[in-house]
Amino acid sequence: MSDNNIMKGGPGTGLLILSAVVLVVSFGYVMFQLMTVGHAAFNVSSKLPWGQPISTYLYFALASSGLGLIASLPLVFGFKQYYGIAKRAIFLAFIILISGMAVLALELGHTFRMLWAIPFNMQIQSAMFWMGVFYAADLLFLLWKFQKMEAGDWDSRNTKIIGIASFLGVLLASGNLALIFGMMSMRPFWYDGSLPIYFYLTAITSGMAALVFFTYLAYGFTRSNMPEKLQIVFTGGLPKLFATVLGLTILFVTVRAITGLYANNPEVYHVWADYLFASPLYILSLVFGLLLPFALMMSAKLRVNPQIQILVAVLTFGGLFAERYYFVVGGQVIPLFQGTWAWDMLQYTPSVTEWALTIMGAAMMFTLYVLGEKYFDLSAAPQLERAPRTAEPRQATA
Amino acid sequence: MAKWGMVIDLDKCTGCQACTTACAMENDTLPGESWQDVLFYNEGEYPSAQMKWLPRPCMQCEDPSCVHVCPTRATYKDEDAGGIVFVDWNKCIGCKYCMIACPYGVRFFADEQPLVEPDIRDTYPGENGQMWSPPYQNPEQDWRRGIGIQPKGVVSKCTFCYHKVSKAPEGVADLDEDDPELKEYVPACVRTCAPKARFFGDLDNPESNVNRLIADKKGARLLDHTGNRPQVYYLGAGASIPAFRPRES
Ligand code: SF4
Ligand code: SF4
Repeated sequence: MSDNNIMKGGPGTGLLILSAVVLVVSFGYVMFQLMTVGHAAFNVSSKLPWGQPISTYLYFALASSGLGLIASLPLVFGFKQYYGIAKRAIFLAFIILISGMAVLALELGHTFRMLWAIPFNMQIQSAMFWMGVFYAADLLFLLWKFQKMEAGDWDSRNTKIIGIASFLGVLLASGNLALIFGMMSMRPFWYDGSLPIYFYLTAITSGMAALVFFTYLAYGFTRSNMPEKLQIVFTGGLPKLFATVLGLTILFVTVRAITGLYANNPEVYHVWADYLFASPLYILSLVFGLLLPFALMMSAKLRVNPQIQILVAVLTFGGLFAERYYFVVGGQVIPLFQGTWAWDMLQYTPSVTEWALTIMGAAMMFTLYVLGEKYFDLSAAPQLERAPRTAEPRQATA
Repeated sequence: MAKWGMVIDLDKCTGCQACTTACAMENDTLPGESWQDVLFYNEGEYPSAQMKWLPRPCMQCEDPSCVHVCPTRATYKDEDAGGIVFVDWNKCIGCKYCMIACPYGVRFFADEQPLVEPDIRDTYPGENGQMWSPPYQNPEQDWRRGIGIQPKGVVSKCTFCYHKVSKAPEGVADLDEDDPELKEYVPACVRTCAPKARFFGDLDNPESNVNRLIADKKGARLLDHTGNRPQVYYLGAGASIPAFRPRES
């Protein structure tokens, strides 16, 4: 297989050094702040306890789930034309999840205590307990799956079973993550049984953005450098799928917004009317992060254009980061009781330390990504196209 | 075992905040991080505007949503301790999910920017794992029940003064501060309340004064629609807080 992967050469090393430096500096800064100032270095409070570190974690965890779901197209559902993206998708899912978990770990009051306190107390009533279980399983299956691919085993029975288990793990992990919010009846902005669907859709959208961006990055943003299998994917069904999930995400946000704005319930209505739609940044993120990418991907000509694909991936990245942030913060801006301590909507802007945590997560993702491109062949796909089932007609043989 | 309940008569409460102060003194909480405070709020507009207030401890809910969500069982309801909801400071990982899930906003992380400045933690920095170490401290400490000075990284809340209540004689129907035999076991906020707006007793005891008050004076639970079923009842007018309304600036 031709290898024009620039991450294997000098540019990759440059990016590796840059991202590793950013990682070390941001991690060092966060640690220093936590040791000296403590969690007071965050701008969250007892009134609004979950801020940008939580939304960053959510963003990473769901992008990972999205990648897992995309990889299941060839690995579980037999869309063999997508084999070329599977390995990179699985690898990205793994490292993005690790990066998200690192951010979450530093957000907690007691990081290491979590490692024994959650498994030993078996609080099965808590969705957060299940988050631990499902994401741990997800991580394990991703690793296992990747190791199978490394060994060149794409099609054996075991690989298939692991693929299916991994797919179910992803569905459970991200669906349950949605319910951590969706089951909170005392937080009406979140309280919504259909939230898992919203999470699946946005997960696939952000996963798609990550896949497109990082694949192009590996080949110096030049599609003709990619192996043929990948080029076919990027000019075939993938852009259409991207357009579809973007459209469905927009539909879901629209329906939530209409319901919220129509309802008299002040804890939902005012979030939409006086927080989200009152924020120019939120509106910008909708227009440039979701609507514009959708419009571009709807054009049959533009959606196969490499520059447009990269632009859309970057815009969607930003758009969904904002979407997650406003989702997490929006659920808390209306005080439980209006009065002493909170006479109006609660105010929150992330602190420097909270931003440093987000940057740390991103730097970790880039660092691991370059290492992965350097040490593995992430564009690998099965050598031989074997007929998937004996029942299907065999290809003509000579 | 008793099931401890609190009754707060809003027609008698003057909003003097003596309870808040007594609680802060008893439990060495940081200024502003009051496990029990009086929430002041307004309702309506001129010419029928009202200024109102509501003392607000942890409700020690019968079906506490904070307990359901806690991934480590650090937050637990102890039926053998009168149904009080505790936080085990040795187990809490500081995920703050319980603060999201409590509909009454009565849980405190405290490892945050000071609510009242100057930051008293600068004057009395924490020692031995405490978030701050003031020169006078209540000697009662029990981290498994969230009693004492809060360490960093965990959540704290009202304990119904378990360190006092647990020493009351077995089977007592009410803990009344006017009874010299019992006054030492009465929660600090109840004991200090000058107009005697607060009552504390056993909700499982048909003879208790708290049960009589709830029945005779139309006791109501705050935000009953949450389904949490508080063990704190309010008497008198106005145990309801108006819904959120943005301020016109
Ligand atoms: S009032 Fe809040 S903290 Fe107290 S028991 Fe109920 S849910 Fe838990
Ligand atoms: S912050 Fe502590 S008490 Fe609250 S849910 Fe998390 S582990 Fe439980």
